[in-house]
Amino acid sequence: MTHSLHRQGTKENLSRDYPLVAVAAHGFNDKGAGPKLGKFLEICWRHGPVNLGDMKQGSVFTYDAEKIYKNVSDTTIVECVFDDLSKVEAVLRDLREADIGMPVVVSGLTDSVGECCKKVGLEIHTVAQSLGVWGDTSRLPRKEVLEITTMCGHAMVSANLVEKMIDDIKKGKISAKKAAEKLTKPCECGIFNPTRAAELLAAAAK
Amino acid sequence: MEEGVAKINDDECVECGVCFRSGVCPVDCFTESELSWPRILRAVLSNPLTESPDTRVPGRGTEEVKTNEVSGRIKPGFVGLAIELGRPGIGTRFHDVQKVTQAMAEVGAEFEAENPVTFWMTDKKTGKLREDVLNEKSLSAIVECAFPIDKLKPAIEKLREVSKEINTVCSVVSAVKVARDGSIPTDKILKELGITPAPNSKNNVGLGRPLFKFEEVS
Repeated sequence: MTHSLHRQGTKENLSRDYPLVAVAAHGFNDKGAGPKLGKFLEICWRHGPVNLGDMKQGSVFTYDAEKIYKNVSDTTIVECVFDDLSKVEAVLRDLREADIGMPVVVSGLTDSVGECCKKVGLEIHTVAQSLGVWGDTSRLPRKEVLEITTMCGHAMVSANLVEKMIDDIKKGKISAKKAAEKLTKPCECGIFNPTRAAELLAAAAK
Repeated sequence: MEEGVAKINDDECVECGVCFRSGVCPVDCFTESELSWPRILRAVLSNPLTESPDTRVPGRGTEEVKTNEVSGRIKPGFVGLAIELGRPGIGTRFHDVQKVTQAMAEVGAEFEAENPVTFWMTDKKTGKLREDVLNEKSLSAIVECAFPIDKLKPAIEKLREVSKEINTVCSVVSAVKVARDGSIPTDKILKELGITPAPNSKNNVGLGRPLFKFEEVS
């Protein structure tokens, strides 16, 4: 699916949000893919992502990273998120050298991802572009909330919970960082960006 | 709330499992029921931890662009459209999904065989879905199809029309193999349609092996 796409925001706040996803191609290179996908996660973890996980096991907000990357199955999807493009560049460099043969997608600001790939000698092969939200958009929550909820492409982070967190921050009941951690937990696969969420929550609570 | 007790509305519940996993109930009263057809499709499409028995991949979609350098799913000269009804966070009934599948079928869509929504079609030529799924509801459902690039314009125009008839939202994706010079073959058409893609995109960086042998594009 497209769970790393459709993240809403400004160019400024999206510049600290880069999800990476790896998955084997069913019927092509999925046999024995588990350890290779684990290697992908191990490389990512070395470079300090703000979140990391496996669709079948959960994220580092619930489980230990080493346990996750040592127990990856062939037919899962693994992911992580960085808030710093230079770390993405370092990961791509290591992945290229490790040559694990697993397909990898990098989401984020198109121009930045393109430049990053160029620096490490990679070319964008296929691109998926978001053409926006259509239909009855009057049913959507406000923009400030959507910028947070859309960081979980499976919609596990409820708009009402985001509103409650904003309200609790305003009342001094919780810090933006702690509120962001609360919002990160329902995102089982590990693609939600807690540092960007904390920034956005703090701004929304002003 | 009914007489001070919080109750789940089963008709609206999409079986995403978030309430169960969150542990928020102070008296631990949430349980997960064993689901049978057709209700089970709610969990398949709404709970990312549920593996689709058809695609063998957890989550509600497919590999789409993620593995394109290996699978060759989206070929040069073609564009993939992924229309995710219900996203972000609103949910969708399948009678709305059928409106979109039928509209896309009218303009010659080739539906992705590995997508769960395609599995539930009774006729891929018309986009008709099984009667027993139409009132089911999921957090989202992805209509995934492909067109020759020269058919993108009528497809988008049709989608614009039908999106006014659905009682939900849809997040729309256009996916294409990047040309050898680094350009995106759909840019001009999208511009003519008055569509500016979001500044952030999802990019397959070509690390998968073995590489699919695409016919060369100019």
